[in-house]
Amino acid sequence: MTALSLFFILLLLLNLADASFFEASQAFLKSAFGGRRYAYLYVTISRCALITGMAIAALIAFRAGLINIGGEGQLVIGGFAAAFVSIYSGVTGVPGIILAILSAMIGGGLWAVLAGLMKLKLGVPILVGTLLLNYPARYITSYFVSHPFRDVASGMPQTLLLDKSLWLPFIEGTRLDTGFIFILIVYGFVLIYSHRSVPGYHAKMTGLSIEFAATSGINIFSTTLKTLAFSGAIAGLVGAIAVLGIHHRFTDGMLVQPLYAWTGIVAALLINLVPWAILPAGFFFASLTSGASGMERTADVPKEIAIIIQGIIILFVASRATGIASDTKNKEEGN
Amino acid sequence: MFAQLHDISVNFGEVRALDSVSLDISPNQIHAVVGENGAGKSTLMSVLFGLNVNYGGQIFINDTRKTWATPSDAIKAGIGMVHQHFMLIESMTVLENIILGSEPNKYLGFLDFQLAEKKISNLLETYNFSINLHQTVDKLSVGQRQMVEILKTLYRSAELIILDEPTAVLTPAERLDLFNSLQDFKNAGKSIILITHKIDEVIANADHVSVMRAGQLISSLPIDGTSQTQISEEIVGVSKTKSISRKKIKAGSVKLNLSNLDILGMPQIGNAFNLEVKASEIVGIAGVAGNGQSELIEAIIGLRSSKSGFIEICSRDVTGADISTRRDVGLCYIPEDRQKRGLALGAQLSENASISSLVSKAFSKGPFLRKTKIRNFTEGLIKKFDVKASSPSALASSLSGGNKQKLIIARELSLESDVIIAENPTWGVDLGAINQIHHELLSMRENGHAILLVSSDLDEILTLSDRVLVMFESELSQSFCTEKVTREELGKLMLMKASDKKEKKKINTA
Repeated sequence: MTALSLFFILLLLLNLADASFFEASQAFLKSAFGGRRYAYLYVTISRCALITGMAIAALIAFRAGLINIGGEGQLVIGGFAAAFVSIYSGVTGVPGIILAILSAMIGGGLWAVLAGLMKLKLGVPILVGTLLLNYPARYITSYFVSHPFRDVASGMPQTLLLDKSLWLPFIEGTRLDTGFIFILIVYGFVLIYSHRSVPGYHAKMTGLSIEFAATSGINIFSTTLKTLAFSGAIAGLVGAIAVLGIHHRFTDGMLVQPLYAWTGIVAALLINLVPWAILPAGFFFASLTSGASGMERTADVPKEIAIIIQGIIILFVASRATGIASDTKNKEEGN
Repeated sequence: MFAQLHDISVNFGEVRALDSVSLDISPNQIHAVVGENGAGKSTLMSVLFGLNVNYGGQIFINDTRKTWATPSDAIKAGIGMVHQHFMLIESMTVLENIILGSEPNKYLGFLDFQLAEKKISNLLETYNFSINLHQTVDKLSVGQRQMVEILKTLYRSAELIILDEPTAVLTPAERLDLFNSLQDFKNAGKSIILITHKIDEVIANADHVSVMRAGQLISSLPIDGTSQTQISEEIVGVSKTKSISRKKIKAGSVKLNLSNLDILGMPQIGNAFNLEVKASEIVGIAGVAGNGQSELIEAIIGLRSSKSGFIEICSRDVTGADISTRRDVGLCYIPEDRQKRGLALGAQLSENASISSLVSKAFSKGPFLRKTKIRNFTEGLIKKFDVKASSPSALASSLSGGNKQKLIIARELSLESDVIIAENPTWGVDLGAINQIHHELLSMRENGHAILLVSSDLDEILTLSDRVLVMFESELSQSFCTEKVTREELGKLMLMKASDKKEKKKINTA
């Protein structure tokens, strides 16, 4: 029923845009999963890695009741840190990659911890603190790449290109960079963290009832800071993957404009913070973005209509997913 | 206004909260309604004010039968209520707060502030109130806020004003002002219902007093010819038969020791605390809720800090230590508020059951949870305490109140801590569970644990405790041997001013 009405709404929209449904959906599928030698599929996977990474960063904090919506700032700081260290440390090859990733994670983590300290010491809500820290992160890096660390020759607000030895290699025989492997590792790690680790348990209990957790002897201060550091570090890692794997430099706005952080938050909320579902959710959003832009490119569907279609699909999936989530919850309570 | 409550009964689930209570309220009177926590006073008032509409019986206002769908019907009929917790918007002015919800309109729906101000100024003059109407509420003292709440009812032309524990939060001077105003209202022909625990205030100010106990109206008498002693005896009632007997055991060494402990943020200005609880001993603290018991407990647990003095658990100074250190040294805590402090309702039973042991690292291996051990442990607790639950992975929110409490007690007692703090451990629990919980506490005592029992249920205190102290206005009385004190004597200490030294001395020498 819902699928049918979804179909008709899409038909109506495409009719409005003077495009045939068949053509548009083919363009959608092709640019999400196809292309010459699956080039578009690799783009989708690459994008999926970034969105899933940001979704994991959001999920970790949200589960602990810390509404960290500053993923964007932590991502940008991480990305810049990776680029800066890669260019100016002089370390090359694998040690250079490791160094860049570690700096990005530390940078992103510290940026999130800053919001935690603002909460614990000054009483600034995490929501407000993390959101506001997005702006300095964005504009400080914007200043850095526009002035002191600018690649003047390129004429753009961006850093120099990274040494080739620091680029994440492609998977053999494909055009897919190895960045997504890092995210797969993080995904596995987060599954274990959420279900089987003591810090993950502490974070969950703190998120469910802070008063109960405190009374039972969980240290709220350190749980808050550790969880935020973890969340921020993952966002920083995503920044490093974007720099080392895709762009090979840091360009102003390159991590902000595609809305990776915000899409990640939506993905995490869509699946009701259930850890295993974060990867499918990330893939869903990535293919939707790829598909919509392909539709615009090849089927002459205007960008606006493509975005509306994207929104409607999200709306339908979201209502389904939340329905399923509350069903399982009711079942547990009914026992 | 003549208000009559006729045969009012209210059930909460299987608990009978009100059992055919009838009450007559007359104009030109201050009518005090007194009773212990849970006696049914607030429930009765919520029926009269339209907050509770599921009741049996009838309400008559000036001899006509009335039914309310919402409190606004009751307000229209001339009933006003001042709640214990004020319902004011802090960032708005006094004037805006008073008129909120019944604003006078000018043409085109604009607010007529001038008319409102004139009306309120008249009220201020009539009743000798002084308050700046254009001040925002966040700058007001507690007494002034209460004045705003009262003005709200007067502005809506209330003829019957209900005040729920109005003096609990006031300073002595503010109390005096309040009672002067109440006398003025009374002389202006209004009816006042005063809900309170404090008998001396009742004797000094009320014209009529009704005593409630366990959902029933015990007596309703004019104040003349009624003595403090009579009221306090009616409030606490006669002892229920004791079904549990305590074995005689000699108490051991001191396990919990408070010495000159001056706690931050007590509700009233009291003395520093000195308290000892020994092994194989249950020490009961009786008293009406809100006299500083929860602050004392929070200080012992580590949720609240203190200005001076120290706390020792098992002879170790833990004054500045955090909660987990205190728990490690040997402390467990059965909280009164099981929904908030006792459980995470959205988590599974096993997650709830294992939290204390997890904090102490018994159920973890490095950073990993020992899932099987946690599950077996939870199953064991559920079995041992007969918690009605489907499985260890069910959510805590699926349990009934009594089963939630059993799970909490099972968890805390399983820690085998030397010191056990139990705060109203049987509050809102059915009779079967109460007996079970009492037995568990007594067997912990026999096994050499030191138990501090804080309860507003005097019967519970007298059944379980070896020694008993009374808390009143943030002060602890001396400790009495349970065998050598009567519930009447304790009742007096619970309900009367501590400065009433004569009464106190009499008891002490008795």
